[in-house]
Formats: sequence, structure tokens, C-alpha cells
Amino acid sequence: MNWRFGLTGSTFDPLMTSHWALAAALLLPLVFGALAAIFPPRRMWPVALACAVILTAGIFLLIDTRQAGVLRWQWEFSGIGVALRLNGVSMLLLLLTQWLGAAAALYTPGLLRISDPERFARWLWPLMGAVISALSLAWVATDLLTLYIALETMGLAAVAMLLLSGQADALLAGMRYLLLTLVGSLAYLLGVALILGYWGRLDLAGLAEVVEPGPVAWVAAALMGAGLALKAALFPLHAWLSPVHSSAWTPVSALHAGLVVKASLFVLLELWSILLFETFWAPRVIAWMGMLAVVWGGLIAWRAESLKTLVASSTVAQLGYLMVVFPLLLGPDISPLARALAWDGFWLQLMGHALAKAAMFMAAGNLILATGEKTLEGLAGTSRRLPLSLLVFGVASVTLMGLPPSAGFTAKWLLLQSMVISGQWWAVAALLVGTLLTAAYIFRFFRYSFMETAPRHRYQPLAPGMDVIALGLALAAFALGLLAHFPLDLLHGGSA
Amino acid sequence: MIASVDLIEVVLALCLVTAALFCLFDRHLLRACSFFVAFTLCMALAWLTLAAPWLALMEGIIGALLTTPCFFYALGVFTPASEKLPSHDHFKEPLSRGVMRTLLALAWCLMVGAVVRFIFPAMVYSPTEHPLLLAGVVMVAAAMGAFAWHRHLVRRLLAFNVLGSGVFLLLAGLAGTDPQGQALITTALVVAWLGSLLGALVIRRLYRLEGENALLGSRGLKETRQ
Repeated sequence: MNWRFGLTGSTFDPLMTSHWALAAALLLPLVFGALAAIFPPRRMWPVALACAVILTAGIFLLIDTRQAGVLRWQWEFSGIGVALRLNGVSMLLLLLTQWLGAAAALYTPGLLRISDPERFARWLWPLMGAVISALSLAWVATDLLTLYIALETMGLAAVAMLLLSGQADALLAGMRYLLLTLVGSLAYLLGVALILGYWGRLDLAGLAEVVEPGPVAWVAAALMGAGLALKAALFPLHAWLSPVHSSAWTPVSALHAGLVVKASLFVLLELWSILLFETFWAPRVIAWMGMLAVVWGGLIAWRAESLKTLVASSTVAQLGYLMVVFPLLLGPDISPLARALAWDGFWLQLMGHALAKAAMFMAAGNLILATGEKTLEGLAGTSRRLPLSLLVFGVASVTLMGLPPSAGFTAKWLLLQSMVISGQWWAVAALLVGTLLTAAYIFRFFRYSFMETAPRHRYQPLAPGMDVIALGLALAAFALGLLAHFPLDLLHGGSA
Repeated sequence: MIASVDLIEVVLALCLVTAALFCLFDRHLLRACSFFVAFTLCMALAWLTLAAPWLALMEGIIGALLTTPCFFYALGVFTPASEKLPSHDHFKEPLSRGVMRTLLALAWCLMVGAVVRFIFPAMVYSPTEHPLLLAGVVMVAAAMGAFAWHRHLVRRLLAFNVLGSGVFLLLAGLAGTDPQGQALITTALVVAWLGSLLGALVIRRLYRLEGENALLGSRGLKETRQ
């Protein structure tokens, strides 16, 4: 399993350009964010210029990673080691972060221009920059200290970003989450302390060699797992999501639901593949919670009164699919074929969901902004005046429901195949029930939006580009299913 | 064994525990926050005795100079009298709920205690010889209990900070204060400060928006609205 994360195996030295590209990918979001706080951009083009630089850095890294398979960096400062790596998985996630981040950043000036002036709008930029930098660091870091720094920066910046526009309910939910996540970070820290005390090292590659299954590994994995589950809003701990999202700004919701919740899941999988590989119970527990999440999140979304609650609860359900896959990736007695299929399906589902959910949040934000209505009933009859926003919502929901040819379909196909091969019938059932529930809540919204008898609203025109960006993301999720061999090539390239 | 215990450490451990308990269970909020200052200073001294001067410096700077003002800001010490938080937290949790939460906290502490006990031989500093680590265990337990019993957001934030310090002491016991351990603790100190800062900002904003009851969590807010 460790080779899949690029922790073992030989590699070439990174090219000179890669060093600069890595530095740019990790630091420039922070720098540009800080600049934007001082000179808030009012138009889209300065943002586009800044994003272009970061995206170019990503392309350079992609080219080098494709050639070398795995890139590694290692430094040591007075006894503290820092280790980074780029392999297929982390490269894909880094690209996803950069493009999704760019989309969210491009969406922001238009949103701020047409909505009422907000007191804290200026602070959105540095926080967004910090989240993107921290996410990029989380994908590439391979030692527990750097991972801890990345996760905490990401978590704190994300909470701050979500609460910028918050009203009392959201602030309370966010405060509860902040306290829980801080306690969770202490649990993670205690897990790290156990590992450092017992094995005396923090780099994952070294740990992968010395860790042996035993109570220490189990307890450390449990402590770290609890901390990460708190951060990722995994199933029983998701209650704060919908009040916070219902008042957060649209690009913030898109970034959070698309990427931030995934980072903890990525780190969880990476750590458990070292500490708990081929154990029976721990991945099972995650999978059971995932099944409950699929059903519960689906039901909440189905009964939701407001559109944002629907979209936010759907995130809980969709994360459930990823949790259901854990036994296939980590459990014992899984054939290599089933494991490889599950591995591909997992990342494809994660990427497809990130793009589709970001698009969906943007479409929902556009609808709410244009009509001034938050509830599904209030949004009745939007099909006549806002066909484009509704189209984006539709294309994104195709991916979420897993209809062909979207990324959701390809991913679920791979996952189903893997589940059937290894005889995990409960997981198959969860996947099917989840799909039905998704269809139920999506079509419930569409039924309202196509009502012809609804009274006419007064519509606020959207800024140019706001729909186009959302459409771009939704189409990307759609196309990812057709062009799945590109990301899958990259995923396998890291193992060659 | 007793002879090897340093008298300074015993005194320091007692000071730490006392300051932590006052900080956690004093209903007068301003006094509780003042005890937190004393607590951080004791923590700094504790790091000095554990041979980690860098951590002592960071604890002094981050704990006493940066985190404490966050609490005073949350209480409204720097603002005109009309915007100050009420000086006491009068809320009492129903007994059944409190017992339930205490049991959960105890279960958690037992788990952690079992872990520490289990890899006892691997511990760098043993708790029986280093009363500071024993103080860390007591602090974790007390802070978990306080976190479970209190609903007032300022007190929960304080409880988190005390809990953090307890965990740092445990970390030092498990892993020693080598550069890697020190780097972890320094990062965690910065995280705790940023978390407290964010928490303080949110508390102030909540208080301005919704008044006193909002500070008791979502149930408090619902009661006000009815």
C-alpha cells in the first residue's frame, strides 16, 4: 500500500524548475492572498493573472512528475526533518486544489461586487490563500509534523473563512465546531506523541519500515483517526455543516465542501495505510459509519427546506461513499485486483465530487443571489428566468447521482466492481440506496424549479462570469468520467 | 524513588494543578482568566525544569503575551463598560446531563491513562519521578471534566487551553523534549493561540448580536428567542 502513496521506491532528483514550481505552488497563494487583503481586487483580471502563475507552476510539476514517477524533497533544520513528495495521487489532488481554488477566487470579485458590501470581505482573500497553501502542503507532506502544520492551518483558516459572513446561528455552530476541532487536534497530537515516543521518528517513509501492528499502533491510529474525523465532519460529527454553510459565502462553501473535508480523509487513509494496514475492525467501523452517513445525509437532504441545507447535507452522504470504500483499501483478504479498482474508484469519486459539489454550491449561490430566496419553495419557477444556473445545477447533479458518462458514474462503476469481486454486499447496498436518495433529493428540487404557477420574482442580474465558472466546473466533473484514463494513468504512473 | 523527586518540581506541579483548577472552576470569569496567566507562567517554569528553555520562552510569549489578551478581549476588558460580558457564569447544568458527560470524559481519560500505562517503559520521563507529568495527567482529566460540565464559551475555551497544556506535558513525557518534540509543541502552542484568537472574536461578535444567552450554546439562544 505504501508504494501507492509514493512513500517507498527509488526516484530521480527533481529538476531545478520543479524546486521553484513547488515553492510557487506552496507559497504564492499565501502571498497573493495577503496582497489582495491590502489591495482588494474589484475585477476578475488581476485574480486571473495571479491564478495563472500558480496554475503554471502546477503544470511544471505535472510534467516532471509524469517523467520521474515520484519526486521527493528532504531537508533537515537542526534535528527537525521535513519531507515532501509528489506522486500520482498527490499530483492529481494538487492540480485539483489549484484549479478549484482558481475557480473560487475568480468567482469572488463578481460576488462581492453585486452583493451588499460586507465588513469583513477583505479578509476573505488571505484566508482563501492560506487554505489553498495549506491544502497543497497537506497533499505533499510526508512527515507527521508538516502534516500537523498543514492540517491545523487549513482547519483554522477554513473555520474563519466560513464564519466571516456568519449570523448568530452559524457563529454558534461554528464555535462548537472550532472547540471540537481544537480538541480533535489535541487527540491527533497525542497520537503523534505516541508514535514519536515509541518509534522515535516522524517521517512516514521511515515509519512504514519500522511500524509493526500492536496496541501502540492501534491506539495511535485511533487517536489520530478521531482527530481527523472531527475535522472532516465525518458522519456523527457533521451537525455543524448545514447551519454554517447556509450563511457562508458561496466560494467559501465551494472550497470547503470540495476540498477541505477531503484533506482529512486523505491524511486518514495515508496514516492508516501505515499504522493499520490489513486490520479488520478499524476500516469496518469507518465503513459502517459511512453507510449510516449515506442514508442519513440523503434523508436530511431529501427533507431539507432550504437549498443550501440540501447541498450541504448531500456532502455528508457523498463523503459516506468514500468511507464505505475503506475496508477495500485497508482490510485483509482483498484481492489485488479488487484493491486496485477500489483505489482508482476512490480518487475518481473524490475528484468528481469535489468538482461537482463546488459547481453545485456556485449554482445554488447564484440562484439564491438572483432571487433573494433561500427555500426550495421560494425558488419555485426559476427555470424560466435562470436557465443557465439551473443547467449548471443539473450537470453537477448528474455527477452526484452517478449517471453516465460523468465521473460519478465511472467511479461508482469501479467501486461496484471491486465490491462485487470481494463480496462486500453491504457496501453495494449502501451505494445503491445512496444513489436512489440522491436522485430523490435532486428531483425534489427540480420539481419546484419547473413549477409554472409560481409568482414572478424580481431578479437581481448576476455579474458576468459567475455562471460560466460554475458551468466550467460542472462540465469538468462531467468530462472527468469520459476522460478518466488521464487521471488514472497518472495514478498508476506513480507506481511504475 | 521519593528521594529522587526534586522539591522544586513538586512545588511547581502543585502550583500548576492549583492554578489549573481555579482557572477551570472559578465562576468569576475575570478571575479565572487571571489564574490562566499564573498557569501559563507556571508552565513556562515547568519547561525550564524539563530542560527546554526554548519552549519556556515560547510558552511565555505565546501563552502569557498573546493568548491571555484574547481572553481579556473576549470578556470585554478593553471595551466600554456597556459591552462587557457579565462577570459571572451562573449557568448550572442539570445533574443527570453533567454526570453523563463526566462519565464520558472519565472514559476518555481512562483510555489515555491505559495507553500511557501500557507503554510506560518507553516513556522518557516517568510520571512517578517527575511530578510535572503527573500534574499533566490531572490537568487533562480536570480539563476534560470542565469541558463536559461548562456551557459558557469563554470557560470552554479556557478548558481547551488547559487541556492543551496537559497534553503537551504528556507529550514531553512520552517523547521527550528533543527538537522534534519541541517543534510539535511549538506548533501546537501557535495553533492554540490562533484558535483562542478566533474563538474570542466569535464570542465578542455573538455577544454583540444576541446578548448573554448566546454564550451558553445553541440551547441558550433558543431560550432567548422563545
